[in-house]
Amino acid sequence: MPQLSKPHLLMAAACVFGAVVPASAQKGTYDPAAVPRGKEVFGPACGFCHGLTARGGDGGPDLARSLFVMGDDHGKQLGEIIKNGRPNNGMPAFPDITPAQVSDMASFLHERVEAARNRESATPPNIIVGDAKAGLAYFNGAGKCSACHSATGDLQGIAAKYEPVALQDRFLSPRAGGRGGRGGGQNRTAKTVKVTPATGPAVTGTLMSVSDFAVTMRDSEGNRRTFTRDGDVPKVEITDPLQAHYDLLRRITDADIHNLTAYLVTLK
Amino acid sequence: MKIRHLILSIAACGALIVPAFGQLTQAQIQKPSPDSWPTYHGDYYGRHYSPLTQINQTNVKHLSLAWVARMSANTLGAIVGGEGPEPKAGAPAGGVSVKSIPLMVNGVLYFSTPDHAWAVDARTGKEIWHYFWKTQGGLHIGNRGMGMYGNWLYFETPDDYIISLDAKTGRERWHKKIADVKAEYFSTMAPLVIGNHVIVGMGGDFLDVPGWLESRDPETGEIQWKWFTTPRPGEPGAETWPDAFSMEHGGGMPWQPPTYDPELNLLYVPTGNANPVFIGDSRKGDNLYTSSIVALNPDTGKMKWYFQGSPHDTHDWDATEVPILFDGVIPGETKTRKLLAQAHRNGMFFLLDRETGKNLLSTQFSDVANWSLGFKPNGQPIPNPMKEPQRAGALVSPGSNGATNWPAPSFSPDSGLFYMHSSRNYAMFYRTDTPGEAIAAYGGSSEHRVDGFGGSLQAIDYKTGKTKWIHDYPGGAGGAGGLLSTAGKLLFAGDGAQNIVAHDPATGKILWHAGLTAGVSNAPETFMLDGHQYLLVGAGDSLYAFYLQ
Repeated sequence: MPQLSKPHLLMAAACVFGAVVPASAQKGTYDPAAVPRGKEVFGPACGFCHGLTARGGDGGPDLARSLFVMGDDHGKQLGEIIKNGRPNNGMPAFPDITPAQVSDMASFLHERVEAARNRESATPPNIIVGDAKAGLAYFNGAGKCSACHSATGDLQGIAAKYEPVALQDRFLSPRAGGRGGRGGGQNRTAKTVKVTPATGPAVTGTLMSVSDFAVTMRDSEGNRRTFTRDGDVPKVEITDPLQAHYDLLRRITDADIHNLTAYLVTLK
Repeated sequence: MKIRHLILSIAACGALIVPAFGQLTQAQIQKPSPDSWPTYHGDYYGRHYSPLTQINQTNVKHLSLAWVARMSANTLGAIVGGEGPEPKAGAPAGGVSVKSIPLMVNGVLYFSTPDHAWAVDARTGKEIWHYFWKTQGGLHIGNRGMGMYGNWLYFETPDDYIISLDAKTGRERWHKKIADVKAEYFSTMAPLVIGNHVIVGMGGDFLDVPGWLESRDPETGEIQWKWFTTPRPGEPGAETWPDAFSMEHGGGMPWQPPTYDPELNLLYVPTGNANPVFIGDSRKGDNLYTSSIVALNPDTGKMKWYFQGSPHDTHDWDATEVPILFDGVIPGETKTRKLLAQAHRNGMFFLLDRETGKNLLSTQFSDVANWSLGFKPNGQPIPNPMKEPQRAGALVSPGSNGATNWPAPSFSPDSGLFYMHSSRNYAMFYRTDTPGEAIAAYGGSSEHRVDGFGGSLQAIDYKTGKTKWIHDYPGGAGGAGGLLSTAGKLLFAGDGAQNIVAHDPATGKILWHAGLTAGVSNAPETFMLDGHQYLLVGAGDSLYAFYLQ
């Protein structure tokens, strides 16, 4: 898609783009109760060419992607095609199908379109294709995972807690969740910041926000403190405990990722 | 023949006839005066560069607020049109986000958001009229703004209509259907006026539907020509698709306002991604003319050349980033060439000869993009097939949000630098289909976003394609909105912390900033009014005007 991909529309609606008319609001072009009836009519009459699921078959196109189906209004346009066929495209006429059956079939086909467009959140069935031994070597070697993590410490039983996909996503994108590193604990993943003014002592705290013009922290006593910034003054040093994960993104290969996951899923 | 002759002479005289009753002539669009901003991009070339110098490096520190205009979607007092149902009484009005770059003509600003259009007094920020369109639905993701011809305005709606309004009154002249909202089309493009053509495009790839660009008559709204972004069987380019079905369902939505060279009379259209979006099994081949830049004759809709920046795209990388037009001399040559530069969503920078479409330079501007095996002799990237969605996941940079995106980049002829907001980001692309399953639209795959390194303001030397300087926004924030450079040696950009910021275009050094109530949501623009140079920027529901007091 253009502007934003679909799984993120909800987020977009909430925080970026303001008013969004949900795509489903304009749907309602079919009667769910009619879908099974339509399928029963469709199967024997149309399934031979278009497939029993209408997703294409022997000579007939995939109707979930048919512009005729998408443009149809409650069977009005489809009824004409079913009644008269499309002789130039090799589709015969079906004059005996009743208007009620056409209406049911239209519901079934519109449901097919909906089903086709709502598949994007599916989870891959099996992502464990790597070599656990190579994954262990990477964990202790090039990946430098063992600098912060251990199979008998923070990662003990990790595979029992997370599905393989979640586990894999997590080491690539740790800020999306997780407690991080040996020992775990509440604020282990929070960034810390040290601000050194031109004069006076340095102040450290938990980073709340930073831009080119201001930095805001919560200091050790729980006070919220903001410092304006002008170029290099005051000096601002940010420490991210998850930095090693971000550094990993630049050099990890897909094979490393798959091997590492194959190893981590053994930590039940 | 006689009638045809008459029509042609009327068209030719258009520039003379229009001013008698209208406000904006073709000559004014073609060579904008400093007291106007007559198109979405400000000019036909997409440079987002202004020759104005009143606001400059020495005085930008004193830039101050002239006015703020906060727009409300409340339709009380609005002129109402549209084919959709009446909004329920008392229903909460939706939020407003101004992504539109307002037109400024004769002291009036014209801009639009999904279902709404406004005229606002550029001297005071006060509303002159508000037009509201009753929608039938469609994705209300944004609206890039309006086009103007004489006294008439044009804008598109989420339910795929083009509407023409009288600029003086906001009253509707006519509306015409562009596409069918039931097929998940939605329209966001700012129409582009060229002579007696209104160029219109649409978006929407939630179903595998065809995309096209069309030209309409500015007076009647009737279609003059349509150009489909994918070929039909037997046409050139058809050999890059396996069959008729795949090309007719191949997507390629043109939703960014094109740029235009009046001397060559060529329109430069950037096209969207191919469909189905992530799984390309059913569309083996390069899939022309998706994710491409295409040069069309605006009088006929005939294609002169194309350049495809993302062959066989499987990552939702629309090429709908602005193709900027400028003239220059490239290394090893002495003759000035007519050039076109684009920073593509896929992380690559392309420099083309815009007369012929010949690629002069291709480089990778994103230092983390990892999906390409290099460039072909014709300048096209070579996609690594292992970076298509995989069952166990492929880590790809950039993700579908791109290494850059639709917000306007800028080119300064003073510095010779191409400026953009860029982003270092990654995503895991998984294949989720079962073997043999028929794939449609976004089906058969799942994209999982990965934390990245945030966004940057990046300057590229067009002669080498190399990064001259890069300013990383702190804290992993991204840049907001599009850019503007000026002859006052300033580069304006929105940061990720709701500031509008002036930078030194030569180095990226920060010179001035002001905090807004939201991040910049359009691109900054500038114009002269009563002897003052204004800087105008949209942030969320508000427009902010700055000048030197």
